[in-house]
Amino acid sequence: MRNRGRTAFIVTYLAPATLLYGVFVIWPVLQAFGFSFYKWSGMSANKTFVGFDNFKQLFHDSVFWQALEHNALIFLIGGGAILVIGVGIAHAMQGEGRLTKVLRSVYLFPNIMSLVVVAILWEFVYDPNIGLVSSLMRLFDGPVRAGAPPVDHSILGSATKALPAVIVTFVWFAVGFYIMLFSTGIRQIPSEVVEASKLDGAEGFHQFRKITLPLLWSVGRIAVIYLVINTLNVFALVFLMTQGGPDRKTEVMLTYLYEQAFVNSDYGAATALAIANFVIVMAVSGIVLRLTRKDPAGASR
Amino acid sequence: MISLLKRAGTNAVLFAFALVVIVPLLWMVFSSFKSGPEIFASPWGLPSKLHFENFAHAWQTAGIAHFFLNSLIVTVATLVVLIPIGAMAAYVFARYPFLGSKVLFGTFLGGMMFPQFLTIVPLFFLMNSLKLGSYSLYDTKLGLTIVYIAYSLPFTVFVLAGFFQTLPKDLDEAAMIDGASHSGVFWKVMLPLAKPGLIVVGIFNGIGLWNEYSLALVLMPSEANRTLPLGIANLVMVEHYQSDWGALFAGLVIVMIPVLIVYWIFREKIHETMLAGALKG
Amino acid sequence: MKTHFLALAVASASLGVLIGGCSGGSNESTADKSKHLDVVSFQGGFGIDFFKQAAKEYEANHPGVTISLTGGPRVWEQLRPQFASGTPPSLTWPGWGMDYWALIYDKQVLPLNDALAKPAFDGKGTWRDTFDPALLKLGEYQGQQYELPYHYNIMGWWYNPDTFAKHGWAVPKTFSELIALCPKIKAAGMAPLTYQGQYPDYTIKGFLFPWVISIGGIKAADDAQSLVPGAWKSDAFLQAARMIKQLRDQGFFEDGANSLSHTQSQTDFLAGKAAMIPCGTWLESEMKKTMPPGAKMAFMMPPVVDGGKGDPSAIMIGIEPWIIPTAGSNHELAIDFYKFMTSLDKAKQFVTECGTLTAIKGSDQAKMPETLVEPARLFRQSKTVYSIQFDTWYSTLGTESKHAMEALLNGSNTPEQFVDRLEAEAEKVRQSKKPIHTMTH
Repeated sequence: MRNRGRTAFIVTYLAPATLLYGVFVIWPVLQAFGFSFYKWSGMSANKTFVGFDNFKQLFHDSVFWQALEHNALIFLIGGGAILVIGVGIAHAMQGEGRLTKVLRSVYLFPNIMSLVVVAILWEFVYDPNIGLVSSLMRLFDGPVRAGAPPVDHSILGSATKALPAVIVTFVWFAVGFYIMLFSTGIRQIPSEVVEASKLDGAEGFHQFRKITLPLLWSVGRIAVIYLVINTLNVFALVFLMTQGGPDRKTEVMLTYLYEQAFVNSDYGAATALAIANFVIVMAVSGIVLRLTRKDPAGASR
Repeated sequence: MISLLKRAGTNAVLFAFALVVIVPLLWMVFSSFKSGPEIFASPWGLPSKLHFENFAHAWQTAGIAHFFLNSLIVTVATLVVLIPIGAMAAYVFARYPFLGSKVLFGTFLGGMMFPQFLTIVPLFFLMNSLKLGSYSLYDTKLGLTIVYIAYSLPFTVFVLAGFFQTLPKDLDEAAMIDGASHSGVFWKVMLPLAKPGLIVVGIFNGIGLWNEYSLALVLMPSEANRTLPLGIANLVMVEHYQSDWGALFAGLVIVMIPVLIVYWIFREKIHETMLAGALKG
Repeated sequence: MKTHFLALAVASASLGVLIGGCSGGSNESTADKSKHLDVVSFQGGFGIDFFKQAAKEYEANHPGVTISLTGGPRVWEQLRPQFASGTPPSLTWPGWGMDYWALIYDKQVLPLNDALAKPAFDGKGTWRDTFDPALLKLGEYQGQQYELPYHYNIMGWWYNPDTFAKHGWAVPKTFSELIALCPKIKAAGMAPLTYQGQYPDYTIKGFLFPWVISIGGIKAADDAQSLVPGAWKSDAFLQAARMIKQLRDQGFFEDGANSLSHTQSQTDFLAGKAAMIPCGTWLESEMKKTMPPGAKMAFMMPPVVDGGKGDPSAIMIGIEPWIIPTAGSNHELAIDFYKFMTSLDKAKQFVTECGTLTAIKGSDQAKMPETLVEPARLFRQSKTVYSIQFDTWYSTLGTESKHAMEALLNGSNTPEQFVDRLEAEAEKVRQSKKPIHTMTH
């Protein structure tokens, strides 16, 4: 009885979404993939077939590797910070205090703001003269020695401070969503387990480490996958704040991709980079999924 | 004593976090009331006098009422179609496995990973070539809506599939024994149970659509149809050239207000949803 | 199931009709296509009102002709797909984000030598004669005219004459005068120089090239732009880089200038935090709305190098090009409309209304804002007019020069490393198959 009309049901219910998605997303993506085998300016109908040249060029492109390194740093450092802060704040928010109630109303604010706003805002925060951060830095300056080169309070213009600054902004913007994710996960922990652990004498941090953390595993996996995608594909924030500068110190794969497509008018090189980026995202996601398959606490759901 | 310290410590962390989140927003609101030169002269102080004309100026220059309406139409239209068809597909993926369903599901997810602006050129060709008489889909709200629906499907399908999966396995068995068809089970039993998920998906999509910029820029360039982010971005960039920072911030505040209002109204709902949706019973 | 589905289908369809109906009109022109022009213009400091009004005037004088004139601050993003699909406008000023030369190499731009040989708008002489030849030359490629200049900007330094008068400072004409003046400026509590750190082309145009030319003559710059091997690490470039480093080491740049946007640094200059800044003649119209009360600006040439062999009257300009896309419709009509726009009367009107100089001879006789008078005079008297074009000709070299400049200014590159990486990138461009341009004087 269950199978009556099952196939018809599947087809009818999948059709609208699949059709729309196939025509307006997949088809353009496939076409874009096809462009990677051509030399094309993207601005006329003239294309020249070049086979795998774009990919060979990409492999030898030092800017690509530099950008990839920055993406990796954003993933490891930014992603790591987001995980720690996300879990920590989610845990701390489980109470019912007034402060907690206030926080619950506002923690998603950064995440719902438009990126244009976030970028402009943080450019001011990092401003070397009137910004919050540089004002703090000035407190730590020593006395000025005559004739010495001036202390540079540049942040987004500094070769060493720019990337960390961008990562901080990224964390500020993104962490709300992960707090929400982990809050969900924590609430999913059956109260009997929590009660039982309390009876066994587990308290505070100990309880957190032994009980909460392992049971957040499946939510944690989702979080890490989202982080892989969002850090490897980060674009708008970097583009708006630093354009990949200074001197490519904050260049990421997608800002370089934009440059190839729209500044150098080399659409083929750009799509080759897009494919490389796509493969990397898939590969890293796959590795993460495989590595996190086991549930170490043994507590299955 | 130790637990008191722990509580104080926790509160301190929460307080610091709340500050970090709220201060930048407040700063933006304060700046929108300052005059241009004042923003640079004293960026972290309170406005010396409330320059309401910034808002009037932004409203007029940007023609905001009109863009607001366009955005509203497109966002609502997208959600009205997106949620049902997304739920339908998600339900099949979650509870009706078939040969290749995992691959198809993976394709939905995979599409999220491809940088959007590279598909703009093929998409542009596509919109121009899909014609009804002498009307193409290019530069129409209908065209943009269809594209928005298509691009919002992966996230929607992914999240809703998760929700449907957590619903009890024997629920549909029971319903069908009572004589319901597959679709009957879906519309009468499963969908209502997944309401929390629908709300969450609706809100997150809605916010994303409200703020969407790059697709609208290329696919709907004319001023008559322009959406709010484009209108504001234009304002930002035009003001960037004219350096009217007061009006710029006022414009940004204006575009943020609907988002904040919706979020504020639904904030408890969202939290309940995460709570309820998580309790699989 | 069927009922539900039907309901859904009907709902979607009616929604579709509703939205389609609200589209604000058809997207195909109902006007006579052979007499219609689509004109798209970049919208910057002076907006597009002037062009809109010119379009209306033309329509009034030519019954049956319709012109739709639109624009935006990032209009090249909309134009790119239009070029790709073969549906570009008839006439356009795409703005700084568009890769003009890719279009030209790809034969997407109409060659205009023939049109220029025809009579001018007022019938006296050819159309070509009405343009300043130095400016027109910048839009040429292999002997053909592709880009048409409309307005142009002059690049130099700016200072506040009231501040200088108040402190009794003389405008420095040479580098040694500059070095002597800077400590006095610092003692008065101001930064001697600031710059638009986020956009290194300001410093490339404001510091590097003027000093390269002052040291090695215009040939040093022409050779570099023509990608002559070794030109980018010539003595002139190395010395100019060292001069920039010297200014940095002696603390004569505003603190944090590396992070500043153009509005921030220019605001600092106008607010009196810095005494001098490199910028183009668009400065006043760009900063009109944030000018603190009492702020004044005046143009000065970048100080020349003592004992340099370059022409001290050498002046840097930049044109803003309009093009007629090959795939656009109604070429003749587009050319005629542009001819109307470049008529002497309209050009003079532009100078007065938009406060910017145009490429049309005689247009500088129009009433212009005070800040333009001195640069216009210096342009008229100059014996060497030049422009920076290598960054638009070779985009990778342009990008690398900006990165190298950032590194030089924030100290992570020495002058030697700076010139080396520029020469390395120039070599890469020579090895690639990109067309090479030659610049001569």
